[in-house]
Amino acid sequence: MSTPEHDYEDLGLVAGLEIHQQLDTATKLFCGCPTTRREPEEATRSVTRYLHPTRSELGEIDDAALEESRVDRAFEYLAFDTTCLVEEDDEPPHRIDDEALEVVQEIAALLDATSVDQGQVMRKLVVDGSNTSGFQRSMLVGTDGEIQTDDGPVGVADLLLEEESAGRVEERDDGVTYALDRLGIPLVEIGTKPDIRSPEQAQEAAAQIGMLLRSTGQVKRGLGTIRQDVNISIAEGARVELKGVQSLADIADIVRNEVGRQVELVAIRDELADRDASVGDPRDVSDTFADTDSGVIAGAAKVMAVPLYGFDGLVGREIQPDRRLGTEFSDHVKRSGAGGIFHTDELPAYGVTAEEVASLREAVDASDDDAVALVAASASVAESAIDAVAERAEVAVEGVPEETRGANDDGTSRYLRPLPGAARMYPETDVPPVDLDLGAVETPELLTERVDRYVAEYGLGEGLAEQVAFGRRMPVFETAVEQGVDPTLAAGTLESTVTKLRRDDVSVENLRDDHFLAVFEAVESDELAKEGVDPVLRALAEDPEMSVEEASEEAGVAGVDESEVRETIAEVVERNGDQVEEEGMGAFSGLMGEAMGALRGKADGELVSAVLREEIQKRA
Amino acid sequence: MNPGDRVHVERGDTEYEGILMPSTSDTEVVVKLDGGYNVGIAREHSDVEVLETDVFAVGESETNDASTVEFDDDLPTVALISTGGTIASTVDYRTGAVTAQFDAEDVLRAVPDLAGRANYRGRVVANILSENMTPDVWQDLARAVYEEVEAGADGVVVMHGTDTMQYTASALSFMLDTPVPVVFTGSQRSADRPSSDNVMNAVCAVEAAKADCAEVMVCMHATESDDRCALHRGTRVRKNHTSRRDAFETVGAEPLGTADYAGVDSEEVTVSFRRPHVERDEHEVALHDDLETDVELLKFVPGMDPQFLDVLEGKAGVVLEGTGLGHVHTDFIDRIGDLVDDGTTVVMTSQCVEGRVCDRVYDTGRDLLDAGVVEGEDLLPETALVKLMWALANEDDPETAMGRPLAGELTERSVPWT
Ligand SMILES: [Zn+2]
Repeated sequence: MSTPEHDYEDLGLVAGLEIHQQLDTATKLFCGCPTTRREPEEATRSVTRYLHPTRSELGEIDDAALEESRVDRAFEYLAFDTTCLVEEDDEPPHRIDDEALEVVQEIAALLDATSVDQGQVMRKLVVDGSNTSGFQRSMLVGTDGEIQTDDGPVGVADLLLEEESAGRVEERDDGVTYALDRLGIPLVEIGTKPDIRSPEQAQEAAAQIGMLLRSTGQVKRGLGTIRQDVNISIAEGARVELKGVQSLADIADIVRNEVGRQVELVAIRDELADRDASVGDPRDVSDTFADTDSGVIAGAAKVMAVPLYGFDGLVGREIQPDRRLGTEFSDHVKRSGAGGIFHTDELPAYGVTAEEVASLREAVDASDDDAVALVAASASVAESAIDAVAERAEVAVEGVPEETRGANDDGTSRYLRPLPGAARMYPETDVPPVDLDLGAVETPELLTERVDRYVAEYGLGEGLAEQVAFGRRMPVFETAVEQGVDPTLAAGTLESTVTKLRRDDVSVENLRDDHFLAVFEAVESDELAKEGVDPVLRALAEDPEMSVEEASEEAGVAGVDESEVRETIAEVVERNGDQVEEEGMGAFSGLMGEAMGALRGKADGELVSAVLREEIQKRA
Repeated sequence: MNPGDRVHVERGDTEYEGILMPSTSDTEVVVKLDGGYNVGIAREHSDVEVLETDVFAVGESETNDASTVEFDDDLPTVALISTGGTIASTVDYRTGAVTAQFDAEDVLRAVPDLAGRANYRGRVVANILSENMTPDVWQDLARAVYEEVEAGADGVVVMHGTDTMQYTASALSFMLDTPVPVVFTGSQRSADRPSSDNVMNAVCAVEAAKADCAEVMVCMHATESDDRCALHRGTRVRKNHTSRRDAFETVGAEPLGTADYAGVDSEEVTVSFRRPHVERDEHEVALHDDLETDVELLKFVPGMDPQFLDVLEGKAGVVLEGTGLGHVHTDFIDRIGDLVDDGTTVVMTSQCVEGRVCDRVYDTGRDLLDAGVVEGEDLLPETALVKLMWALANEDDPETAMGRPLAGELTERSVPWT
């Protein structure tokens, strides 16, 4: 199924975005620990905890929280030499990080938002264990912003500063292991108003917000550091929250596919209404499959089936590329612990014979106009799973359900859980309120403005300027130029050279900002030839602990002083004395190559050229 | 305009709508927006309009429904006595701070995991933060425990704030002879958060109160994990960390025992004791609740103004927290001798916390002994203070009593590994 183009205006598409971005601050939001990510194997200690439900600020006991906490789950937390008692919930939070406050206020200014006068840190109840405290600390910083897209402005409803949750390492039957390195990294959340009207506008708005965020130069880069959620509905459909879109480039497709899904579900609803469809009672059909050759069914303790009257052909109907209504049913049974479902639109198959399908229909009083869905599993799982199928099938008769879905890599999505209720929040009394004042922050230069400046001021080409400005090494570039490094050298190295190294499979992720700055300094002080930059970076990527001097030695490009250059060139000219006398300057280009070869990139080309000219002139 | 009203606030071009919260300052209007966030908006730049009054009864506890815990003949009876503290606390909306507001009945509601472990009798002796504790509350508490035991309680759990828990536990150790366990517990992380240590501490305390060690104990996390509580002797325990769950430690020995906790849904808590202790029903219940409260604890520090000693003039007792083996500046010794001559009992302990005082090693110590100072052996300074209050009121020879064990507070052999 290809993604059909729809008339989105006609369908009444309404969409909004929620963007979560980690900040690249020196320390975490509520403690002095660095915001460094770690590997689980590097953990130095671990603690195990349980969470218990609590009362919300307004005195209501939350059913969802109560429900979740009933599950007996032990949470194991891995701690590191870069985490402290605050992450372990064994010390109260420190005051909110100044640097994060500054960055979030810059973001508020970039979004043209109004900041509240006094930010109040709240505890947002989260009992899945992803925070040791049982809540996420979050503060509303601003409201009423706006960004521009080609299709018109998109309002920003709110801007939040919150703490990142702990990363999930492993899930077991009896609990979950989390790593504390991520917990407490400052996280900015931007929620737009539902002003988006087309897939392209959604993607553009996300790109625009991403650009604004990166303009601060203080956001984390790389996988998982930015997360995009999209809220989508069409007029006849329902609000769906799509979580965890990893790549910006997928947003338009995700929106298109969700609109397509809702359109198909509406069509199925209409068809079901025409057929006067209904859902029957689940039944035990284990006997029907007592002698089945189907391995998947034979291995199960119980087979439950539900007749879907009037559903024939619709359960197998595609609603997203390669996903059917039956796939939605399968998503729902996964919460019960079942692997999936079978349905008559796809049978006979999987070892189920035509005869078995016929007796299945008979067993549940289903005719050829009907469909039958079945689940084969342990007794308790099969029973709760078939109820989940029946429930979802009932909803199909009604139309599109409101729900939370997870984005798949191919632009489709899967059912995750019902929409969350209103966030359950109460004040974080351990952290005093913070006075916010946008007047006190300087609005950062936009990346787009930065590109123009790089072209105009530094004479960089448009393409290189854009690479540098939008690239993750922009702050190093800025520092280097500030320190007097030639902008062309800095830009070329940080973008072109690094790209070349990456293509050669050099581990460029090992190259730190201080490596680049040290290399630039060596070039500027003539200790390293420009030609030596590439091999020295290769050596540093190989062993990041080396100094630039050691790396130069290692790469065989250790700088040579001018006298050595003169000596070598004199030798070259001497060796080719006849040619020089004959051709004069005509011998230059040939000898230049030989001289550079003899110096093996250790000397600066301009110096070699100048000395060679001198030497030739002496002879000629 | 009152907290709980639904309000509309205009501040320049920006509008806010939500529930008015008790504000933390005069300059800000604090509104809980519909999304749940509280925001502060400058009063002087805002127009506030009340849309609806009393939408929520902010900050009022709504739990007035009677608890319907049934009596089970097969279960032991545990008295739950509350003195306040973070095991059952809530947010105070006026100050924004966490305060204790629940009685013992509420604790049952707050910690449903206690159900089915015992029949409970709830009782509130005080509702104060533990830093506000005073010796007269120790006495009220001792009387309450005595009455509960007299009335047939098979064990007593005292819910107490952690800051001064060790003082109160010491006081009850001296004031009570008990045939049943008296277990103090509390929480280091307040009960208003899902991660609070109150649930495991309370469950383990109830199990310890059902066990056979008839002493006054403190039951708190043994590690940073929710895996086991340590059972500390009330006279040897000390809060040694400001915030960690496992802040409480037995000084100079290992804890009496442990309560192993197997998880929130497991009934299983294994209480075991590894050191000699008083057995259940070994003693008859008795109350000796007199205290001489005119006693001070003074920590000696280099450069201390000798005038501090003037304040101690006429006191019934003074515990000194000296340096090292039990020393103070030699210039202080004569003044201390005067205090003793004047009738004040002066006991030396050490700020080293671990180890035994010995004033016979150096001249300063010998001079202190000559001045009439009593060696506090390996008494914890805080326990020595409480013991001296009790000994002055109950012992004919308080000086001698300070040097011998009355409630496991003092050991005669230094074997900290046991
Ligand atoms: Zn930390």
